[in-house]
Amino acid sequence: MDSLSDSQTASIVEDAKNASATPDVNLSPASVLRSIFREERFFLILSVFIGIFSGLAVVCFRFLIDWFRIYLLGSGAVLSPWRIILAPTLAGLVIAVLVIHFFPQSRGSGVNQTKAALYIYNGYLPLRTAIGKFFTASLAIGSGHSLGPEDPSLQIGATLASALGQRMRLSRDRMRLIAPVGAAAGLAAAFNAPISAVLFVIEEVIGRWTAGILGSVVLSAVSSVVVMRWFLGSESLFRIPPVELRRPSELIAYAILGIIGGLASVAFASGIGSLRPRCKALPQWTQYFQPAIAGLLIGVIALLGGPQVMGAGYEYIDEAMHGQFTWQFLAILAGLKIIATLLSFVSGTPGGMFAPTLFIGAMLGAAVGGAEHALLPHLHWSPGTYALVGMGVLFAGFLRAPMTSVFMVLEVSGNYTIIVPVIIANTFAYVISRALQPAAIFDVLTRQDGLELPSMEEQREENILRVEDAMQPASAPVLNHDDSVEKAARVLKKGKQNVVLVRLQPGGWGGITREKVENLVRQGKSSELLGILLEDQHIPSLHPDQPLDMALRYVDRWPLVPVVNRANLRKLEGVISQRDVLERYRDFGGE
Amino acid sequence: MTTGSAKRDFSIYLRREPVLLALLFGLAVLAFLAVGALSRIFHAQQDALAIRWSTRGAADLKLQHFESAATEFRTALLYSRGNFSYELGLAQALIGQKRISEADAYLINLWGRRPENGLVNLELARTAAGRGDTEQALRYYHNAIYAPWPGDQEAQERNARLELINYLLGINARTQAQSEMISLAANLEDDPTQQTNLGALFMRAKDYEHGLAAYRRALSIAPHDPAALAGAGLAAYELGRYPMAQRYLQHAVEDAPGDTASAALLRITELVLQMDPFRRQIRVAQRDRSALDAFAVAGKRLKSCPHAAASLAPAKSREDLQAEWGKMKPQMTERGFRNNPDLVNTAMELVFKIERTSNQGCQAPTDADVALLLIAKLHEGS
Repeated sequence: MDSLSDSQTASIVEDAKNASATPDVNLSPASVLRSIFREERFFLILSVFIGIFSGLAVVCFRFLIDWFRIYLLGSGAVLSPWRIILAPTLAGLVIAVLVIHFFPQSRGSGVNQTKAALYIYNGYLPLRTAIGKFFTASLAIGSGHSLGPEDPSLQIGATLASALGQRMRLSRDRMRLIAPVGAAAGLAAAFNAPISAVLFVIEEVIGRWTAGILGSVVLSAVSSVVVMRWFLGSESLFRIPPVELRRPSELIAYAILGIIGGLASVAFASGIGSLRPRCKALPQWTQYFQPAIAGLLIGVIALLGGPQVMGAGYEYIDEAMHGQFTWQFLAILAGLKIIATLLSFVSGTPGGMFAPTLFIGAMLGAAVGGAEHALLPHLHWSPGTYALVGMGVLFAGFLRAPMTSVFMVLEVSGNYTIIVPVIIANTFAYVISRALQPAAIFDVLTRQDGLELPSMEEQREENILRVEDAMQPASAPVLNHDDSVEKAARVLKKGKQNVVLVRLQPGGWGGITREKVENLVRQGKSSELLGILLEDQHIPSLHPDQPLDMALRYVDRWPLVPVVNRANLRKLEGVISQRDVLERYRDFGGE
Repeated sequence: MTTGSAKRDFSIYLRREPVLLALLFGLAVLAFLAVGALSRIFHAQQDALAIRWSTRGAADLKLQHFESAATEFRTALLYSRGNFSYELGLAQALIGQKRISEADAYLINLWGRRPENGLVNLELARTAAGRGDTEQALRYYHNAIYAPWPGDQEAQERNARLELINYLLGINARTQAQSEMISLAANLEDDPTQQTNLGALFMRAKDYEHGLAAYRRALSIAPHDPAALAGAGLAAYELGRYPMAQRYLQHAVEDAPGDTASAALLRITELVLQMDPFRRQIRVAQRDRSALDAFAVAGKRLKSCPHAAASLAPAKSREDLQAEWGKMKPQMTERGFRNNPDLVNTAMELVFKIERTSNQGCQAPTDADVALLLIAKLHEGS
């Protein structure tokens, strides 16, 4: 190894600082406590408490949903027609009054409110919203509105975390991050899937991977799942049938599922995107009746033969996975669920879209699998596998969280055999959805609400400028540490550049300006070696793949910054100056 | 760092993070207790609902109202997810509704949780048998037989094996069925009904020797058991032990006068014993009389069924039989027997030939014809 780069050196220095901060047996109790309770460590401990409180809240939320279901719809699997019609209708009226007069922020799913807390309100979420969400969403889901408990749980977790953060007087940076930490806890408890919850929050809410936040998010998610399992058991939401992929040619069938799922996602998202603003634009008095009308229509759908569309519907996903419906009925159920969820969601009824998305995906997946099997009887058909892949497909196509969609299926199924079909189908769904519906559903909803939150999808796919886009080839020869000032003067005299770069020993780079060389010559120091003169004047180096933003940190202090090869730090790939950077940014704006 | 500043720092931190964390911990404990109390109420209600619906399901399952039983078990499972017995009940209800693949999904899941459970293995064996998967059926039946059953282990094991035997006999796997029956016989109690049932199974497998042994074991405990008497009579009859068959069948008919099958069998058995000229320890006159009777019966049989004989036997053979019978008839006198000591054998050979030929395609043979066929089988084989 030639030498360490400046960034590596900086990292070592940082590590050394951290090492020195480690509690020592000789330190005083005060410094031990200070070390323990440094804000980042305190934040980690706080994340565990956030997980615990979110887990407890989600457990109570689940209890309340079940109680509402039992008392409003009855305890049996076969529902009475009167209850089917009256429960969601009357509940809709109550919900409308509560939302309009007491909890106006409780509308919708809650994902965007959490993002808004992160990007707009410095992590602040009013506790009242969580209380409102807790009661209104549980009443809606329990009475049969076609919504799920996951997104409200996410918002409840985020709000609890925000409340705790406020009481703890955390710094603004920490406060901004605390809502996603709570969101992960709430989602993980609701979904009984900590990995998917962490990924979703990173992918859809925070939008970036940083070690600091990742640790907190994981801790809170895991602790909330532990609490949830303590009270509700560790069983997954549905029984997973044996999953198998017999022949690679079956992947074509899954690709078709991806295409159909992508189209269904677009239809679902377009429906919400176009109907929601229209419903919101209706006169104010109609807001009192919209959830009730949605409930009435859902009741009618249920009465006409689709009671499965009521509520979150996890038990029916389970049945679909075990081949208890014909493929034709599964396709009808997928269509009815899209209509029912559209009605519930656009009417402003509080509740989540995760469960309906999974329901539609499972039904569609099993239906497509069944239809393919009917057309090609030699094709191996396992409804459970198709339903699982279908769930991932809708997740990728509708919620546009491609990574979460894959890991969610893996985590729920506990079977890695399914990974190839899931990736293939999800990719098709995601690409189709992106092509036909450029804005993701959460971005659409945000803009409809008059907010401008960063689009995670756009961020993920943003083309960022790198150092290599702005750097110039090193035109002037590079001098070595054992070259003299006189040689530098000769080089500068031959060329037009004002700076010459010098390779120092044992590693690193230095730079000397024309002006300084001329001064040294005038002072009669022509024979002095550049290595000795520049010994303590190292300049930082960059690598071609680093973001151009990083160059901005150096180019105003050093007129010319070397861009070096990562494998050989003494090999110059190019040079970059402030002018190069600014010109590149100007050109990029034009592009 | 001075002692004063250290103390100040310490007091600051004591006021802040540690205390806050302690408070949070206390709050978490309180919240845990509160949710725990709520959880107990919730689970008590869920359990009550689960029991209510599963009780209804079990009752409907018993009454074979499979559709409502399935709905009720499904409802019970809403309140007690993953409950083993409810899932098993649901699987049984689904089997009752002939929704085998759905039932299988539940059963395989249950088997994964308790592979040693006898009832699950038995149900899986039944569904595998239903879809014709013999290998899986045998595997699950054997699992069920050797599973630890609750309650009367032996009875459950026996019932599972009986079911397996019935299955094997149903698919014509007689050899495997016989070995299972022999295992069953070794573990059977001294109960005449069980022994009689075992005997009947042996009879279905055409293992008359073991069948007779089982019936005799039953009779050693209950000498007047009509089913055992009839079974023993039938087994002895099938084995060609007609005197023994006669003895058992006589008792069977005496004890159960309504048993027409045994009565019919007894009639044939008695005819066999009467008409057999080769039976031991009879006088010459009696032997001649039996041969004469047999010859007459065969002649009648040949006359009653000329068409069938024509359709089945080669023309030459039929003509030969008729000619042969006609040629022999004048010799069939007491004098003829005295003059020709081989005449009995020759006549009976012709009788057997006629009866065998007529048995293929003619109308149902009379008892006497059946008796002659049995005598033929007894002395000539086949």
